[in-house]
Amino acid sequence: MRGISKRFGATRALDGVSLELAPAEVHALVGENGAGKSTLIKVMTGIHAPDEGTVEIDGEPVTLRNAADAQARGIAAIYQEPLIFPDLSVAENVFIGHRDQGRVVRWRRMNEEARAILARLDVHLDPRMPASGLPVASQQAVEIAKAISLDVRVLIMDEPTAALSAHEVDRLFRQVRRLRDEGVAVLFISHRLDEVFEIADRISVFRDGRHVATHARDGVTRSRLIAEMVGREQADFYARTEHHAADVVLAVTDLGRTGRFSGVSFEVRKGEVLGLAGLVGAGRTDVALALFGIAPAEAGTIELGGRPVHITSPRQAMDLGLAYLSEDRRHVGLSLVQSVTSNITLPVLRRYTSRLGLVDRGAERQAAEEFRGRLGIRTTGLNQPVGLLSGGNQQKTMLAKWLNTEPTVLILDEPTRGIDVGAKADVHHLVDDLARAGVAIVLISSDLPEVLAMSDRVLVMREGEQTGLFERAEASQERVMTAAVGET
Amino acid sequence: MSTPAAPLWIRPERIKELSLVGVIAVALVIFGFLVDDYYSGQFFNRITTSVVITAVLAVAQTMVVVTRNIDLSVGSIVGVSAYLTGQYAAAHPDASPVLAVGLALGIGALLGAVNGLLVAYGRVPAIIVTLGTLAIYRSWLVSHAEARTITADSLPSWVVDLPTRTVVSVGSLDVRAVFFVVVVIVALLAAGMQRLRWGRRLYAIGSNPEAAAQAGLPTRRLVFGAFVACGALSGLAGFLFLARFGTITVVAGQGLELDSVAAAVVGGVSVLGGSGTLVGALLGAVLIDVLDQSLVRVPQVSEFWRNAILGALILAAVIADVAIGRRFRRRWSAEARPHTKVTEDEPADPAPALEASDA
Repeated sequence: MRGISKRFGATRALDGVSLELAPAEVHALVGENGAGKSTLIKVMTGIHAPDEGTVEIDGEPVTLRNAADAQARGIAAIYQEPLIFPDLSVAENVFIGHRDQGRVVRWRRMNEEARAILARLDVHLDPRMPASGLPVASQQAVEIAKAISLDVRVLIMDEPTAALSAHEVDRLFRQVRRLRDEGVAVLFISHRLDEVFEIADRISVFRDGRHVATHARDGVTRSRLIAEMVGREQADFYARTEHHAADVVLAVTDLGRTGRFSGVSFEVRKGEVLGLAGLVGAGRTDVALALFGIAPAEAGTIELGGRPVHITSPRQAMDLGLAYLSEDRRHVGLSLVQSVTSNITLPVLRRYTSRLGLVDRGAERQAAEEFRGRLGIRTTGLNQPVGLLSGGNQQKTMLAKWLNTEPTVLILDEPTRGIDVGAKADVHHLVDDLARAGVAIVLISSDLPEVLAMSDRVLVMREGEQTGLFERAEASQERVMTAAVGET
Repeated sequence: MSTPAAPLWIRPERIKELSLVGVIAVALVIFGFLVDDYYSGQFFNRITTSVVITAVLAVAQTMVVVTRNIDLSVGSIVGVSAYLTGQYAAAHPDASPVLAVGLALGIGALLGAVNGLLVAYGRVPAIIVTLGTLAIYRSWLVSHAEARTITADSLPSWVVDLPTRTVVSVGSLDVRAVFFVVVVIVALLAAGMQRLRWGRRLYAIGSNPEAAAQAGLPTRRLVFGAFVACGALSGLAGFLFLARFGTITVVAGQGLELDSVAAAVVGGVSVLGGSGTLVGALLGAVLIDVLDQSLVRVPQVSEFWRNAILGALILAAVIADVAIGRRFRRRWSAEARPHTKVTEDEPADPAPALEASDA
């Protein structure tokens, strides 16, 4: 790709970007949100046409008019959230885009071929099974199988590991290496630098729509990459300010819900951050859902400010001063088609409603404007639909939405998942600011260094049980991890 | 659920179809108790003659609905096609029946193409486009007809006699030619939806439009094609309407769009697109027709309640659909459950459960 530029209105998403992919290499692409990675993918897959510059394959300039065009040239992409057809079978998902299969579907042959391709990936799925029931990792395997069946030469993987467990990541990497060894050029996009260093042969850094540098993996360090990504030195990545113990705001004793979790007890004081660590599926989110009344607790007690409460609905939880930021911002956290303003004012719309029952748009705007400044939400305007923002800015919008309810207890569920380094640092600063302002914070995170750096106390869960509660001073990675996976 | 020993393996669509057959059978048994002399050849004939029109429309509607669209103009297309074909047959009594049927199909395909153009290429939501053309096609018919009515005695005898033509008789059960033909057409189309790439792609579009575009499917052309097919089948339904009633006024076929949607939904077609079979839609049409024709003969049920019962049936179908879907999803996710995720990039202990998880 040479000198690719792409403009959307006044925004220059890509500015004279050049990138070369060699056969049989895994090329990692890193950069903050808005660095132009997604736009580059869309140019490569024929969804957007570049304003300037050319895409070349084997030295020949090509014009990619649409996704089918790109596919015909052996370029395929796999996204963080797999684009599968839930109602179709696994085999159909693998072969749906094919033009060379003839007009009549030969089910038996298709099933057999799909099974064979999946077996090559070490995935054993019944190809007749509808795709809707599959876990994300298997859906990705189906997409990789689709790419293989298309004789892919360039495979773009956009944050493929974001929703995977470590075991699944391992298997994905084995699949990626196998493809590479077969001569495929893999463009691997990830925010997780550990993974980038593990899988990539070369690493390219993008910033603000520009190509900053390309390194061989062994010729670069992590801190250098981060510096190039954000364009500044990372001084205070995990910032926490010293503070003094205050009153207990939230106390939970022996909380439980059948089949989900049991025996969870903890206290959070004013201005404190309680980390919830553990494996995905350990029941941490279930505790949050119970506290916020979405899936109420069936056992144990919750005390807020020393008063026992029985929380059975989100409305009640909000009235009691709780706020919960879901881990799934795209589906339940935000209304993607609505504007930034509408999202921010939604939970407390009452506040902006006049006596006649009409919403005061001026007041809404003012509040949204304030949050945009405070959290540094980058938008073209407050009326921009949230769905068009980058992940980090969506996350900030969701934070604004819940901060707008002025909570005394803020529950954050994976607040930095899938967002870039800069936005991550912003979120960390904000958490610290909020704690200093006296908010009690419950932080659920699968990023162990993050939990340890941000929390005053760390509660560890495993398979629905509380397996550890460590003060900041005694919480080490090893101890928390041991509690999370169990003694071996 | 690993490779060879897949236990219970049956697609959810099959379950829906089988349960519909069951419901129809139960309905027939219950009515047998309520109505004297219920199982007669005459009743069979009445059902099979009347069901063909809704059946064709239900199948037509299904082809559009699986693409996550809807065609509300099918009733108007029936009217226009019936009227124009009737006019043509009356004016050319010696013309070949093939020509008349072809005309009906062609008129329908043309009107369907207008819908398809606006939806697929004009990017206007289908419900709005077809709500518009529902009115436009009907209004055009009213102005074209100038208050004239096609009457049965103006039609050539082959058209009027068509509904009573019989292919084969088993005892007092006559299999009518139209019923036979419609069953054959539905069977062919159902096979097409199942086995033709074109059909599978219609499902793909309705299942996940974004993924369809990413997979490089010609989505616009496919949606356009679905509307043309739906229109052509509606045109055919118009011809069947003409043959059955003989008398065609400007309101012919009015309201059939709702019947077609109802039959499709009862037949297990998801209004969200992506799932539902033509066989299901056909069975849905049969069930509605059986209820409709049978309830008339149950003295305890007033005319007033018949529609309410049909409405309840539609709701029951949708609720059953959701319940079945949920049961299945739980079953699958239960089998795919033993997934453990680890917070750190340390290798997870390769427990056997993990190996089983992707099966």
